[in-house]
Amino acid sequence: MNNFWILNMGAVALLIGIGIYGLLTMKNMVKLLIGIEIIAKGVTLALIVTGATKGNLMLAQSLVISVIVIDVAVLATALAIIIRINRHTKSLDVRKLTKLKG
Amino acid sequence: MHLMLLIGLVIFCALAILVRDLLKAAISLAAASIFLAIVFFRMNAVYAGVFELSVVAGLITVLFITAIALTRSDEHVPESSYHKFIFPLFFLGLLLIDILVMKSLLGRIPAISSPEAGTFGEIMWKERSLDLIGQIGAIFAGVLAVLALFRSSDKSPQGGKHE
Repeated sequence: MNNFWILNMGAVALLIGIGIYGLLTMKNMVKLLIGIEIIAKGVTLALIVTGATKGNLMLAQSLVISVIVIDVAVLATALAIIIRINRHTKSLDVRKLTKLKG
Repeated sequence: MHLMLLIGLVIFCALAILVRDLLKAAISLAAASIFLAIVFFRMNAVYAGVFELSVVAGLITVLFITAIALTRSDEHVPESSYHKFIFPLFFLGLLLIDILVMKSLLGRIPAISSPEAGTFGEIMWKERSLDLIGQIGAIFAGVLAVLALFRSSDKSPQGGKHE
């Protein structure tokens, strides 16, 4: 257990915490996606740091590439949904999406 | 130097959440990606660094800016004004828990590493070949979803009423 790993994992915890804060408190849909992106950044940093510390850097890099590709696909779909919702409701406010609320 | 890069990464991520203007938030996110890519390069993770720099700092920022330009509306989404007070408290609490807990928590993880054999190409194409199939599936699913969401509503059988 070296201090380099612990320092980087501390940064990972901060990134994931900031992302969860954004997901919990923001009302703008684009800001919610930015929160998801920040959590993904934390996950990729965790994978690379752990791979570099434990001597499995190549495997960690291949996993990070998978994470990034899936992240892009999710983001493109989510942004398309947001543009569609914006044309419908003329707003980016997530509180206006109450049609399914019942 | 490494600590400075991590601090820059965390600061730009916090700015991306806290800044009210969406364009500035997207650019802050790109700056955070650049910091993360430099961290990857310093750890000899060159392939991940290149992907982070080109795809996340480049492509995702372009996608965000395009979406922001397409959804530019006059109405401003009101966010809570308590962020100025709550976020520093939340951040300090998180930092405190981080410092107190992280060392003992990570110390319990057993060292299960085994030395890796082969180059990046061998691991990517032979060991993780199923991942590649999954990635191709995810990309096609994303493309089909975007096509389905942006298809013209005039072609619907109900005569264009479908929105």
